Amino acid sequence: MEKERFFGGGWKSAHAGLLPEVSAFAGDEHLPHSFVGFGWEQPVHGQEAHAQQLESALSSLVSSPSSNAPDGNDSVVIRELIGRLGSICNSGNVSPSSRCHSAHASYYSTPLSSPPKLNLAGADHQRQRMLVNQVAAAPFLADQGFAERAARFSCFGAAEAGQLSRVSSRQSLAKEVAASYAMMAGSSSSPEASSASEKLTAVVAEHNARKRKAAPKGKGKAAAPSSSSAMDPPEASPKIESFIDASKLCELIPLPQEENSDSKRCKAAEAGGADKDAPVKPKTEQNSSDDGNAKPPEPPKDYIHVRARRGQATDSHSLAERVRREKISERMKLLQDLVPGCNKVTGKAVMLDEIINYVQSLQRQVEFLSMKLATLDPQLEFDTETLLSKEMHQVHVPLPQQVLFPLDMATSAFSLAQLPLKLAENPPDSMFSSLQLPPIDHLANLWEDDLRYVVQTGFPQSQEAPFSSGALRAE
Amino acid sequence: MSHAAADTAADAALGSSGKLRTAPKSSTPVNRWRNSSKERAYRRRLVEVLCSAAANSRSSGPCSIKEAADSALATTAHGRSRWSRAILFARRCRGSGSSRKLLAKAGGTRCRLTSAPPPPTKKGNKLGHRLRALGRLVPGCRKLPALTLLEEAADYLAALEMQAKALRDLTDVLSAAESGGVPPEN
Repeated sequence: MEKERFFGGGWKSAHAGLLPEVSAFAGDEHLPHSFVGFGWEQPVHGQEAHAQQLESALSSLVSSPSSNAPDGNDSVVIRELIGRLGSICNSGNVSPSSRCHSAHASYYSTPLSSPPKLNLAGADHQRQRMLVNQVAAAPFLADQGFAERAARFSCFGAAEAGQLSRVSSRQSLAKEVAASYAMMAGSSSSPEASSASEKLTAVVAEHNARKRKAAPKGKGKAAAPSSSSAMDPPEASPKIESFIDASKLCELIPLPQEENSDSKRCKAAEAGGADKDAPVKPKTEQNSSDDGNAKPPEPPKDYIHVRARRGQATDSHSLAERVRREKISERMKLLQDLVPGCNKVTGKAVMLDEIINYVQSLQRQVEFLSMKLATLDPQLEFDTETLLSKEMHQVHVPLPQQVLFPLDMATSAFSLAQLPLKLAENPPDSMFSSLQLPPIDHLANLWEDDLRYVVQTGFPQSQEAPFSSGALRAE
Repeated sequence: MSHAAADTAADAALGSSGKLRTAPKSSTPVNRWRNSSKERAYRRRLVEVLCSAAANSRSSGPCSIKEAADSALATTAHGRSRWSRAILFARRCRGSGSSRKLLAKAGGTRCRLTSAPPPPTKKGNKLGHRLRALGRLVPGCRKLPALTLLEEAADYLAALEMQAKALRDLTDVLSAAESGGVPPEN
């Protein structure tokens, strides 16, 4: 059994205490094997033993919820390799951050390597999506190199461990990962994100281009540059180069070189990526046609790298335009969510009209409210603390679009202890009728648009009517 | 609000699994401006500005309050977006160089309500006209390309919503103070 094999493999006694604890924790008999593998070739130093324990514990944390599949030989081997590579990388680097990073790399990959030979593309995609979401949700901008490597690693992990027989599922995985990166690139609009996502899709495309070779070797090869480069980009390049020389695998050599050049060009202008688009793109098209599978319905969109759709123009200009248009429509969707009542509207022009109207109405509201404040302001000497405490109560009141503004809550929550000045009491029929403000008429017309929005957004009419009457009396 | 819920769920999931990572932040404008910390920060700033303005007794009308509110908003944005930088820069320019009259005049022009959106043109360039109109509305975004303009508009819109809400709450508080007498303390 694998247990004996691993035990006989020189498992250090330092981990003796760890194993029962880990197995108790994980509750899965297959997991401890991988953790044993983590410490395989690791010389037992005090620090690194702790690091291994940390890694193992963390891996168990992550792997245990996700690994419910029967443990095939391949996954164990892969996990062992991951562990070995992680430990090798650890041995070369003493800084805790790097250890954490390789721990991250290792345990980000284990959920993917754990479902082996799953022909259920759905479950696999779920995991990918989960991982992708996790990766995407990670502080990408803070540690973008790592996240990119982890995602790339996950791509490889999924490919090799799952042994998916269908290229399309891999492509859709790659598409999802790239799509998430594209979204991140789109939303954050940083050159780093876009170049990273470019790298990612380029990497995936590269991987698609090659036939899948022996799983462990490719995995190990991919793992090494990923985890090593995750530590520190400038530090990674010599490591990668040495690893390249050591393993002499031709298929992935262009890949890390591409990585290196990309990492050097990380901060480069985005226009530089467009040049890469042309050479990479025909290759992917060629390969996808070679594979003979139908192109995915939604090709991975990215700032730089775009896969051409079937039957559409493939020159770089139209591709770039399409990317740009996609981004614009994405932003419009964002705006659609912001502006209330825009779900029914279709078309950019009408949407823009609505947006413009809404912005104008909001600006007018702000002006009106500030005018009102100006009239209120000199009459009261208010205390900062009071107001802030009052406002804290009202922070939890949901946005006006959704809920009736609780008038009584405002009146009851407020404590006038510090207010020295009080106006003459007025009948509290409406909050705003008490405003001793002279009326103006010309504001009424200007408020029609706002009232329209008010109706659309579901403001209570009764609340807004005295509001506008207050406006009438504002000056 | 489903975005916020989903994001917090993702954050929780990530936080539990990745102990060594900091909490990830969502980057959509909606989530950026709708969380309560931003609201509280803005309200605090607003109240401080208003108090200082009242104390100095130089608030000479509604425009200064609006400007104060806008500058508070821009400061709360931490100057990350173009419109916030434009607001802050404009304020600083106006405040430093010119005399009171010019300031009031400029404030007056700023206070003047914006014109209605341009009528839909018959030509096929409706989008362009509208985009330019939007650029005029958002401060500091007149000559931006469409992509960045839309992004700035989204951010500005979310910020405006928050500002309007905060101002409304403030005026309600103050008017409640005036009208309601002494409510029972909570």
